[in-house]
Amino acid sequence: MAVSARRGRSALEIVLLTVLAVVMLFPVLWMIETSLKENRDVYAVPAKFLDFKITLDHYRDVFVSSGGGRSTLSTSFLNSVIVAGVSTVLATVLGVPAAWAYSRFALKAKKDQLFFILSTRFMPPVVVVIPIFLMYRQVGLIDSALGLILIYTAFNVPFTIWMMKGFVDEVPAEYEDAAMLDGYTRLQAFRKFTLPLLVPGIAATAVFALIFSWNEFVFAIFLTSSDDVRTAPPAIAGLIGGTTVDWGLVAASSVVFALPVLVFAYLVRKHLVAGVTLGAVRR
Amino acid sequence: MPPARGRSPRLTDRRLAVLFIAPALLLLLAMSVFPLLWALYLSFTDYSATRGGPAAFVWFGNYTAILTSAQVHQRALTTLIYVVGAVGLQTVLGFTIAYLISRRTRGRGLLTTLFLVPMMLSPVVVGLFWRFMLDAQFGVVNSLLGSLGLEPVEWLTRQRTALISLIVVDTWQWTPFIMLIALAGLTAVPRYLYEAASIDRASEWFRFRTITLPLVWPLLLIAVLFRAIEAFRLFDLVYILTSGGPGVSTETLSFHVYKVAFLGFNTGTASAYGILMVLVVIVLTQLYLRYLNKLKED
Amino acid sequence: MRHPKRTTGRKIRLATAALLLVATTMAACGDDGGDGARTGAPKAPATIPELSADPLTLSFVWFEWPPAKALETFANEEYKKVRPNATIKVNTVPNANWHDAMFTQFAARKTDFDIAILDSQHIGEAVTNGNILDLTDFVKNNIEVEAYDPYLLAAYGQFPQAETGRRDENASLYGLPLLGDTWTMIYRKDLIGDQPPQTWDEMISAAEKCQTENPGVSGLAFHQANGSDAAAVTYNTVNGVYGGNLWDAKAKKIEGVLNDPAGQEAMDVLVKKMKPLTAKGSGNWFIDEVNAAVAQGKACIAFNWIAASGGLLDPEQSTLGKSREQILDKLGFATLPKQKTDLVPLGGMGMHVSAYSPAANQAEALNFMKWFEQADIQKKWAAAGGVPSRTDAIQSPEFLNAGPFNKVYADSVPRMRDMWNVPEYARLVDIENTNVNAALNGAKEPKQALDDIAKEQQAVLDSSGRKGGGGL
Repeated sequence: MAVSARRGRSALEIVLLTVLAVVMLFPVLWMIETSLKENRDVYAVPAKFLDFKITLDHYRDVFVSSGGGRSTLSTSFLNSVIVAGVSTVLATVLGVPAAWAYSRFALKAKKDQLFFILSTRFMPPVVVVIPIFLMYRQVGLIDSALGLILIYTAFNVPFTIWMMKGFVDEVPAEYEDAAMLDGYTRLQAFRKFTLPLLVPGIAATAVFALIFSWNEFVFAIFLTSSDDVRTAPPAIAGLIGGTTVDWGLVAASSVVFALPVLVFAYLVRKHLVAGVTLGAVRR
Repeated sequence: MPPARGRSPRLTDRRLAVLFIAPALLLLLAMSVFPLLWALYLSFTDYSATRGGPAAFVWFGNYTAILTSAQVHQRALTTLIYVVGAVGLQTVLGFTIAYLISRRTRGRGLLTTLFLVPMMLSPVVVGLFWRFMLDAQFGVVNSLLGSLGLEPVEWLTRQRTALISLIVVDTWQWTPFIMLIALAGLTAVPRYLYEAASIDRASEWFRFRTITLPLVWPLLLIAVLFRAIEAFRLFDLVYILTSGGPGVSTETLSFHVYKVAFLGFNTGTASAYGILMVLVVIVLTQLYLRYLNKLKED
Repeated sequence: MRHPKRTTGRKIRLATAALLLVATTMAACGDDGGDGARTGAPKAPATIPELSADPLTLSFVWFEWPPAKALETFANEEYKKVRPNATIKVNTVPNANWHDAMFTQFAARKTDFDIAILDSQHIGEAVTNGNILDLTDFVKNNIEVEAYDPYLLAAYGQFPQAETGRRDENASLYGLPLLGDTWTMIYRKDLIGDQPPQTWDEMISAAEKCQTENPGVSGLAFHQANGSDAAAVTYNTVNGVYGGNLWDAKAKKIEGVLNDPAGQEAMDVLVKKMKPLTAKGSGNWFIDEVNAAVAQGKACIAFNWIAASGGLLDPEQSTLGKSREQILDKLGFATLPKQKTDLVPLGGMGMHVSAYSPAANQAEALNFMKWFEQADIQKKWAAAGGVPSRTDAIQSPEFLNAGPFNKVYADSVPRMRDMWNVPEYARLVDIENTNVNAALNGAKEPKQALDDIAKEQQAVLDSSGRKGGGGL
């Protein structure tokens, strides 16, 4: 009796879990389906789930413009790669040494400093963008890739420091002490012994920084305006609101845009908890 | 430490620390602190970014106007409903999913990965796609309702449903976040505690209440606070899904700040508005960090 | 709180540091006042300066829609014949972001465009802020002003606005017409007959009848969204047709003018008679959704901008026919029905020279404008899909034959009315958009919405001397 009740409950749980999984994943599947449908099937009522002709035209349109040549969307993807890539490298270069220093040295008001660093990351972008806009216009950084790179770096540095401090804490300081006894300087000890051990952590941290910059929309839409600088999120958002909406194209470009993020996220799945809480929670 | 060494290692350490930390802090000072101070200064003026001209001081005029404005109160209420609704819903759902997954012995990794997909998507993609799915005429949601024999719903163009849609979409995207953290807490509950309890023949609910919940609670609280901060800052989803409509019924504080700042270019007012929002965020962040500290000390 | 003394000490130090930073910031920002010392728009030279012989890119900014592409193709093909070293680039931004994208660049005093394509109501804001060149002298020397309908010339260039609907010869000009536009009524000939309804009442009853007779097809489709100027133009159109006024321009009065009995009637017609004939969930529709509804055969009568209607004839996007001819058998295009007046909304945009673009590009921009406004070029522009403003081009067969809706435009020219062209335009239109959208979607009673519009818009017009809190 007890066993069958437990089994019944287990079955119920599985059903519940399946239903929830379907609900959570359906929009993603629908997006992929839409990206493969011809436009007339996209608008079909009632919606077509399986019986439609598959076309890859929308994916071609993501990269190739109607007259041949590169589409503006593909330019924006390229811009995204550059902006996200460079800002991630910068954040890593600035953040990793700082994280190491915070982990290793007794500093004045360390907790306050770390609190201050993290709190800058929580500022509402819509608010920050107002003074940043005024600042950028003084120095000519409006509508430039450099401007976006700088602000993304500034938003990723706090994250990198918090996340990396956790990783550095896990590497025993004794390694460095031992190396210094062997005659290495502190810096050499860091470079030769600690840094190699940090590489997986750095990779995971960089991936999260990359995802943030890649997905960011608010700064991008207010600080850039020309096709040559625009990154992918505002470009994709710009696909609606013309005289016609090509939902197939919206879906295809969304899939292309999301795919790298999903691949990267899968690669760092071990560190997801730390990554999504800005390095604050590690278990 | 052998005293034979020529230099004082402490001094080197100190220099090294400064050398390593200073660049990061300088960037933050330039890109976060300085702009905020600038905004603070502008918040006491009637400055406009387009009209130019010298900014005249209005001192607390902007602040009193904002705090007494019925328009702002309305947005604050909308934001509150949205934050409480969305974060509450995703907490319940996220915890449920995590609990169910934690009771599985097989397929845990795969399940977790699948559930996490929505969280990784850009808000732009999420907003656009849900707008498409929630379309009253050819959206798949109404199409599914229709095949169940239900009337189509105006998801994005009615006052109530629009706010609910916003909450649902945010919940869809961020339930995985709560789930992930709750799962981390649940899997960390030591097995022997359960085993001890099962020897005592404690009821399932009793075990959940006395063992599971107390252990997961602190972590969950952090997840909730984190989400509350994020939800409070929300802009992109509103911009794409409803652009604040119908009327202004889904305009959040962030969206209203945007309108003040970039439609009317009332930079002074927008700065004061922004500073007030930052104050709220700072309070929430304080809470967040306090709990985080407590968690680490335990 | 474990070391209260130390904490307080540190806090004082922190506070001192913060104060110091604030002081330096304020000192730094003091210099910022320098850029605001101008008054009004800088003047363009009366004659075009010598043009550069080097390769030069002349950049425009517009929003994403077919005419932008048409302009780039047309200009590169034709303008290159006279200026081989010039390349035309039309940058586009999403429509919802159009005003913000241009004016944030103006605010930055650095633009990535030489010619801004402003909505006609943006002129006031741009002129007041000194963002675009004053073209008055240039126009006197280079443009045949008599060739235009005076109102069109005024609408796309003059500031202060052509309040009476007539051009003021003494007012300054800041732009020249690029693309004319107005609403067209799109009706299903196969469903309501070949003859378009003549009055607004007839139109509503035809839509009602059509909707009842054809399940799955809604009577009406029009702009209702709360972004851009969507819902606002819809209300303004009905307001005009029912004899209402948007404001008393001389007295700068909106309260009591907009929400007078005629204005109320217009709002009631829109919300209580027209809205029930639209599709469920159409409360956030703009250009693209209305087009989609027509192309999918889901609307009996629709209203849309002419310049955005080209796609309706594309068999690729339509379920109404396999060829342009088949589609035209079913779709008719007509001028708007009349009621108490025959007013129609003025759309379209003019070209304006950015005050922040380099001198060589400004010269090229002036040269382009002079070239563009010639009679034969205007006709070619019409044939390429543009909507010209010169009377001779509007009446030319090249234009009238280029699209079934072009005659609608030609017939509508004498009937046009624009919105307020004041520096506060963006705020005014947002107030109207959100409130009309609220009324259309049941979030506000129509009367309440109209009164709120009048009250809030009046507050914006009156707010110049207020102390703080502007723009809320």
